[in-house]
Amino acid sequence: MKASRVGVILAALAAILWLAPFAWMGVASARPQVSGALDLASLFPSGPFSPDNYIEAWTSGHFPLWYANTILLCGGILAVQTVTVSLAGYAFARLQFPGRETIFTLFLLQLLLPPAVLVVPNLVMITKLGLFDSLAGVAAPYCASAFGVFLMRQTFRAMPRDFEDAAMVDGATRLQVIRHILIPLAGPGLAAFAVVSVTSHWNEFLWPLMAVSSPRAQVLTVGLASFTRGAEAGGEWGVIAAGTTLVAAPLLLGFLFFQRRFVSSLVFTGLK
Amino acid sequence: MRILAGAALGLSLLTTAAPASATTDIDFFFPVPVQGKLANEMTKLIDQFNRSQNDVAVTAVYTGAYDDTNLKTRAAIQAGRPPAAVLMSANFIREYVINDEAIDLGPLIAKDGQTPEKFIAQFWPAVRTNATENGHVYGAPFHNSTPILYYNTDMFKEAGLNPEKPPATWQDLVDAAKKLTKSDGKTMTRSGIVIPSNYDSLGWVVSGLAMSNGGDYYNRGWGGEVYYNTASTIGAVQFLDDLVHKHHVMPDGVTDAGVASNAFFAGRTAMMIQSTGALGFIRDNMKLPFKVAFIPRALRNAVPIGGASLLIPKGNTPAREAAAWKLIKYLTSPEINGGWSRFTGYFAPRMAAYDLPEMKAYLAQNPDAKVAVDQLAYAQPWFATFNTVGVRKALEDQVQAVLSGKVKPADAMVNAQKAADALLRPYVEQTALKLPQ
Amino acid sequence: MSQAVLAAPALGVRHRRILPHTTLLALGLLTPSLLLLAAFTYWPVMGVTLRSLTQQRFGQKPSWGIDNFVRLFADPHFSTAAWNTLLYALGTIVPSLALALLLALALREQGRLTTLLRTIIVMPLLIPLVAVAALFIFIFLPGGGLIDYYLAALGMAQTNWLGDPDLALGAIIAITIWKNTGYYMLFFLAGLAGIPEEYHEAAKIDGAGIATRFWRITLPLLGPTIGFVAVIALVNTLVQIDHVIVMTGGGPSDSTNMILYYIYQQAEQNMDSGLASAATVICVGALLALSIISLRALEQGIHYES
Repeated sequence: MKASRVGVILAALAAILWLAPFAWMGVASARPQVSGALDLASLFPSGPFSPDNYIEAWTSGHFPLWYANTILLCGGILAVQTVTVSLAGYAFARLQFPGRETIFTLFLLQLLLPPAVLVVPNLVMITKLGLFDSLAGVAAPYCASAFGVFLMRQTFRAMPRDFEDAAMVDGATRLQVIRHILIPLAGPGLAAFAVVSVTSHWNEFLWPLMAVSSPRAQVLTVGLASFTRGAEAGGEWGVIAAGTTLVAAPLLLGFLFFQRRFVSSLVFTGLK
Repeated sequence: MRILAGAALGLSLLTTAAPASATTDIDFFFPVPVQGKLANEMTKLIDQFNRSQNDVAVTAVYTGAYDDTNLKTRAAIQAGRPPAAVLMSANFIREYVINDEAIDLGPLIAKDGQTPEKFIAQFWPAVRTNATENGHVYGAPFHNSTPILYYNTDMFKEAGLNPEKPPATWQDLVDAAKKLTKSDGKTMTRSGIVIPSNYDSLGWVVSGLAMSNGGDYYNRGWGGEVYYNTASTIGAVQFLDDLVHKHHVMPDGVTDAGVASNAFFAGRTAMMIQSTGALGFIRDNMKLPFKVAFIPRALRNAVPIGGASLLIPKGNTPAREAAAWKLIKYLTSPEINGGWSRFTGYFAPRMAAYDLPEMKAYLAQNPDAKVAVDQLAYAQPWFATFNTVGVRKALEDQVQAVLSGKVKPADAMVNAQKAADALLRPYVEQTALKLPQ
Repeated sequence: MSQAVLAAPALGVRHRRILPHTTLLALGLLTPSLLLLAAFTYWPVMGVTLRSLTQQRFGQKPSWGIDNFVRLFADPHFSTAAWNTLLYALGTIVPSLALALLLALALREQGRLTTLLRTIIVMPLLIPLVAVAALFIFIFLPGGGLIDYYLAALGMAQTNWLGDPDLALGAIIAITIWKNTGYYMLFFLAGLAGIPEEYHEAAKIDGAGIATRFWRITLPLLGPTIGFVAVIALVNTLVQIDHVIVMTGGGPSDSTNMILYYIYQQAEQNMDSGLASAATVICVGALLALSIISLRALEQGIHYES
């Protein structure tokens, strides 16, 4: 009892440290733009909320379009991934076939090779497929996911076989079993995977920068970089803070709402 | 896969060939060297161009920083989808030529009834070398900069210095910096001067100091040689070392260009060396009174050129090349070039831009911009070699070690020369050392 | 447990009867993933491997050989990058896993305060690394940045965090720990929730103290989770270098250069695709070996449980 209270207190201290950059981001983004100010680093607001930085960030970019593209990209990747990882996860969890372990290891290879490592060959590939400069091209390399297959395999393995066996005895096909019994039961596992998938693709920078040219297919991180990566002079910290807040807000809010559900869904994946 | 690729190629040929008589769609890659506002301004410029005529429709693509733009352009070329035009760091052009990735603009210039010599003569002499290679023109300069000395006039007065007489020589600089530095016991609370020493900035600054110190720094006509282990460069690096470790007027370690600007805004440094391209940004953000001056000299005044030029990558159709050329001519016209210069702080490479009344009015109002233009008389070409970035880093890694007190300048330059020579070796073997059998 | 024992032989019988059908079905289910992996993982990897064995230097005809690997191992920048990567991996994985586990232990109870604290620790996961880099350039700003501003209040001198070759890697490590600890904590929370409460109760009755219970029950049962998280963390440290690109460019004096950044430099700045490919092959090989070892441990853990 006492030990756990000490633990919470120590964790609270860590949390204060963890929160500091966010606190600064919030305060700096809401400061009026009278820069050259010496107390730019202060964690306490120097006055009432000023929308200057948000207005400048919002008008320097095309946030509505970037939001739409990013949501489309993450949603599209997730939709295709759900199909590919469920099917493959089931095969590895439930079917006996020659070379299963070898093929599984081959799958895991992808875990180590995100497109950032293989930029040039992947660009050549999406160009050959006619997907260069489109959101589909950004999404393509991610449509198969070793991480997802791994998670789904664990999820399926952790489920009792009773339902499936009963359904199979009743004459259901494997695909029917997957669609009507396993997928609904795997909801929490899929939810956990969804959060991991959306988070990583929402935040990726280098690959979307490379794979897309047209402004109409630009995503949030690439857009944000246009005012965080100035080269010959200093950054405008307030605007950077405001832009970062705008980019991260949807995920932060989403996490605040679904926090409990997310943690409990991870438990169901059988990652013990 | 090959069938698919063939089909895609056929399709793209069809789509580009068909509307030859109508509008040609092209893409234009541009980096944003200073801040987000510039991306908007560039997009506005391109919209204006698109509305001004019906032959070419340009899509402006923001491609990150200079290095990102280089990376993205190269990746697009390798993937077989080169952009029609790119705004590229001016010293990368030589490498695009060496690797056969940029087109000679000569034929396009000839179609306008001009010669390459006359075309390039429209730009300031200092920017011509980086845009040409063996008499052929590969780049059209768009915006350029030189390093310049920014100083806080209040601090000058407070230290008993005359703000109207900024330091002109290295000796003046050291004397002034000593008076301007403030210490609180052991630690420096205000430095006399800050010089950006991150990758990219540092090589640029050192090349300027070496040239001011009598040297040449690199072989201007051929990309296989740099002069690091020479008296002129060692002296320049020793000067930097002394500012930190002997005179104690500059913070030790590496200072990022952005960090330098912030120190200047916050009054934590009295002087800094920074690009003229940052003039607009500094004018907007510096609340304390400041002025600019020529970079102090050792044996002679000399500063390197920086900035970017427009080039056309290889692999585009003639229709797209012609369309890109039209865009390039628009962007380098005196009106547009001058307008961009006033908006950003870069100087306009097109000389005629300075004959326009709005430019004359601007210079009269902004004496700091005039200093930047006057310094052009002493500007030298920007170092450009085979493997420019790697060869530059070979020097920078060593100078950074000097600034951190880890190695002495003479040893550092021996190391830097060795590393640079190794990087240049493959090119040297295929050019200067490829002798008749 | 008995369920599995009973099901296994029954399943075996069925399998023997319809084996080809099962194999075909498995093939069908794996095809979508395999096609995508072939296009975006195997094909590029084979390309990289072939290129690593192709000697092509400026203006010369390509030939086969191991020249790239010879040059790679002779390049001092590569050994620096490899050494930095090792320091970086150790410096981030060990503290962030330990911290994540401790935080998970402290915050596993449900409650308003623990929920809030968990949320705060996870928040860094949700913002892009490029944006984190931009924020931390300010945080580390010598003199006026967040850290120095508050350290100055404690009477400490300004520090050139990113500009000192002895400190820069540490600064990069600190950012990575801040960014990823919450992510790993989530996995540990899930793992802890999977340990039945009875084990602890039984041990308590036997008089085991808190430390004994941690070492004897919690840690062994968490073994597979730790293995899994270690793999994820290892991959993260190798591939997440957006902040290195933005903040230091590998400097000062190569002190934050990493293997992936080295590869990127060779490929895109020095245009030496042979050297870049050789470095990629070495990097992927090392990762693969380490991951297989960790995942084997994980697999075993799972088998023991069922």
